[in-house]
Amino acid sequence: MVAIRIDELTKQFEAFTALAKLSLEVEQEEFVTLLGPSGCGKTTLLKLISGFLDPTEGTIHINGKDVTRTPPEARDTALCFQSYALFPHLTVRENLEFGPRQKRISAHDRKARVDDVAEKLSLHAQMDKLPNQLSGGQQQRVSLGRALVMRPSVILFDEPLSNLDAKLRDQVRIEIRRIQKEYGLTAIYVTHDQNEALAMSDRVVVLNGGRVEQIDTPEALYHAPKTRFVADFIGDANVFSGTVQGEVQPGLWRVETAMGTYDVATSTPPKEKDVDLCWRPESAVLGDAGHTGKVINRAFQGHFTDLMIETKGVSYRVQSRATSAQEGDTVNISIPPEQLILLERTA
Amino acid sequence: MTMSKLNKVLMISLLVICTLWLVVPFTMAVLWSLVDPSQPWTADKLLPPAMSFYRWIDMWQNSSLKSALFTSYALAPSAAVLCLLLAAPTAFALGRFKFPGREVAKTLCLLPLVVPPFITSIFFSSVLFQLGFTGWRFGAILFAHAVLFLPYAIRILTVSFEQVRQEHIDAARDLGASHWARFRVAYLPALKPGIFAALLIVFIQSIEEFAIAFIVGSPSIVTIPTLLFSALGQDFVRPNAAVLSLILVVPNVILMLVLEWLLKSANPTLSSGKG
Amino acid sequence: MSARKWLLIAALLTPGLGLILVLIGTVVYIAVAQSFGFYTITGESGFTTQFWSDMIGRKLFSRSINYSIYVGVLSAIFSVALAYPLALWLRKPFAGSMAIGAVLKAPLLIPGLVAAFLFINIISYNGIVNQLIQWLGFSDAPIRMQNDSNAIGVLILQTWKNLPFALLLLTGAVRGISDEVLDAARDLGAGTWARFSKVIAPLTVSGMQASLVIIFIGAVSDFSFQVIAGPTNLQSMSQLMVTFKDRGDWNSAAVVGVSLMMIALIGSALMAIGARLMLRRRLT
Repeated sequence: MVAIRIDELTKQFEAFTALAKLSLEVEQEEFVTLLGPSGCGKTTLLKLISGFLDPTEGTIHINGKDVTRTPPEARDTALCFQSYALFPHLTVRENLEFGPRQKRISAHDRKARVDDVAEKLSLHAQMDKLPNQLSGGQQQRVSLGRALVMRPSVILFDEPLSNLDAKLRDQVRIEIRRIQKEYGLTAIYVTHDQNEALAMSDRVVVLNGGRVEQIDTPEALYHAPKTRFVADFIGDANVFSGTVQGEVQPGLWRVETAMGTYDVATSTPPKEKDVDLCWRPESAVLGDAGHTGKVINRAFQGHFTDLMIETKGVSYRVQSRATSAQEGDTVNISIPPEQLILLERTA
Repeated sequence: MTMSKLNKVLMISLLVICTLWLVVPFTMAVLWSLVDPSQPWTADKLLPPAMSFYRWIDMWQNSSLKSALFTSYALAPSAAVLCLLLAAPTAFALGRFKFPGREVAKTLCLLPLVVPPFITSIFFSSVLFQLGFTGWRFGAILFAHAVLFLPYAIRILTVSFEQVRQEHIDAARDLGASHWARFRVAYLPALKPGIFAALLIVFIQSIEEFAIAFIVGSPSIVTIPTLLFSALGQDFVRPNAAVLSLILVVPNVILMLVLEWLLKSANPTLSSGKG
Repeated sequence: MSARKWLLIAALLTPGLGLILVLIGTVVYIAVAQSFGFYTITGESGFTTQFWSDMIGRKLFSRSINYSIYVGVLSAIFSVALAYPLALWLRKPFAGSMAIGAVLKAPLLIPGLVAAFLFINIISYNGIVNQLIQWLGFSDAPIRMQNDSNAIGVLILQTWKNLPFALLLLTGAVRGISDEVLDAARDLGAGTWARFSKVIAPLTVSGMQASLVIIFIGAVSDFSFQVIAGPTNLQSMSQLMVTFKDRGDWNSAAVVGVSLMMIALIGSALMAIGARLMLRRRLT
């Protein structure tokens, strides 16, 4: 069943278009991440869904009900803020009770809900403390708990991990995902961190300049990016402009680029002659055959070695697990045809 | 969109209220001050039938306005300077030293603001009586003003002293600067806006202070506020009161604007280096 | 800390804080002592509670106390109640908000006596308000508004003079609340009133207390507004004190003065505690 349906949503701030005709459907209990650089429109979209902004055009349905013009206090969404936004004058318990009180939930139910959440997030020892007596990780859990006691149809996360240190981040990430599954919540999660997006999501919406670049599972985004932006933004990629020469074998297309020719295995024939060709640095095979290049930089990274290689004035990146190539050496690299990706040319 | 419309409506209504609140009263005051005694301004006329500067000239020549102006404008700058001199050591201690009881001391400095002014003035004059010190009333008012407005000066200067950067002092020392050179290069730039602000605020407070001047000064000392008070009281002549009100308020507004500008420009001069 | 450093700090504090303590201390001491019959200027000095018992029995005194408290409490409440919505409105800058803030703060620049003159000028028997009323045909004859017996004129003047001050304190406090906290309250279902009473008011309670207390102390000890625009059949405590002093009755003036100080002290404590209690009850 569809939990959220967004149709052709547009948001303009005077002359600036923050979001352009965005459509998206989120299934019940699905974890969807909005990913993109700052200014891509992901926070605008989150604020539109939670009701803090009014769209210029388009509609939002939550569980089949049109909520496009419903104010945030009446929407069945709960937001986890980047700064946690805990009420500094209220204890942890009072923070957790705030929402149920506003919804006039009976004292008995309220207590049951708060206790349940405190249990699941192990907040029992902190219940009578004020937010400024808590660590960052604890504040983060209270913020999550405050959203959970609302039992919302949709839980929204606005970069909730950005104020935590790296170690805690992994831990909270796993916890958020566990809680989301336990409560069977539909979640929308905003981040600019591709690792977070890949690790947590059922599906990822990649946004750029207020438009959707691609909506896909994390695996598909990594292995089959559709645009140059997605290929660049998610993981490392070497991208070259090229021209399609023709089909040399069934399903194998020859592409000419500045650094040489490639044979690309693809089931969908390229629509245009001008294409972008992309491959991941770890797909390259160092050997005797293929393109010849010169190592211009070498960086040992532990479980692999990062090489910058130059061929015909074009430099690109190769990651190899076992190589003894030094700066200045000449090497040969080849990329298996099935590891090459043809991208749509975007304007 | 509705929000900005609402703002517009609110703003227009507020501007209308402010016009009623400020423009109408002052226009009335200006008009009244210009009423020529040859024809009285009666309620049925929108504007005074005859206007002249007669009242202004008359007040200047035939009332105690001149001596009041002289007293007020001698009192205020002296009080400001004296207050600054008294405040500086305390502000230095509060701003540059950490000592137990510092917060208590800061709070105690606010005492003159919470004791009602008429209590201070009546019992200060009572103390003067007891001590038999009734000769130099101007001096008594000056002393009272300087002490009672200390809270403002101490507060402002404490903040200024806190903003003096230890690295600047250390750097000056490191480069072999003498005491005086250190003060000039490290302290003065940070203190300057605070010094001006403190002087101005005490000046303004002193100019418009009424209770002390009225109780301690009466009957021999007349300042502009006490003159205005008597013009509003036993010998109420509306045009004369209008003249006095304008004389009291106009320099005040100008000085306050200077103060505002000073406080605003205070920050950039301090923002050298990282915070 | 070494004794030397303590000595240095004490020496530095003496001309500033020291003088404040000496002056205020002496003033309070003299007031209390005179109220109990000491330091009588003419006649005998010595401990007596006569002045207190005489004063407490007088109707003039109790009426004056009631009246001063009435003016003090209402002025403080009106100023803060008006300043809150304005502070919230000016929380976020918008086109023209600077100008509005400046206009609202203008009364800070205008001395109280001038304000009183401007005010009575407008409401006087042949002032512009009466002209307007007659011109609009509401009344044939001018209405007497000056020195009204409910002291509405004094309350208007006090509010006019003190509103900018409350606004200054509350704008600072309200700007200290982050947008995200307000959004969070909204997201959790709090409407406009709930956001104010459960989030904004508790978070700005110290600003509110400071404004209430300072305005209360100023208004309860008002002299000039009362003399110029207040009811003629009532006296404020400051006015009463000055009356006694002018008669040379310093001891009675001291009784009124000490009472005024106590009322200012107790009253501000009650207002501060009251503000906090009211908010506390709302929360739970």
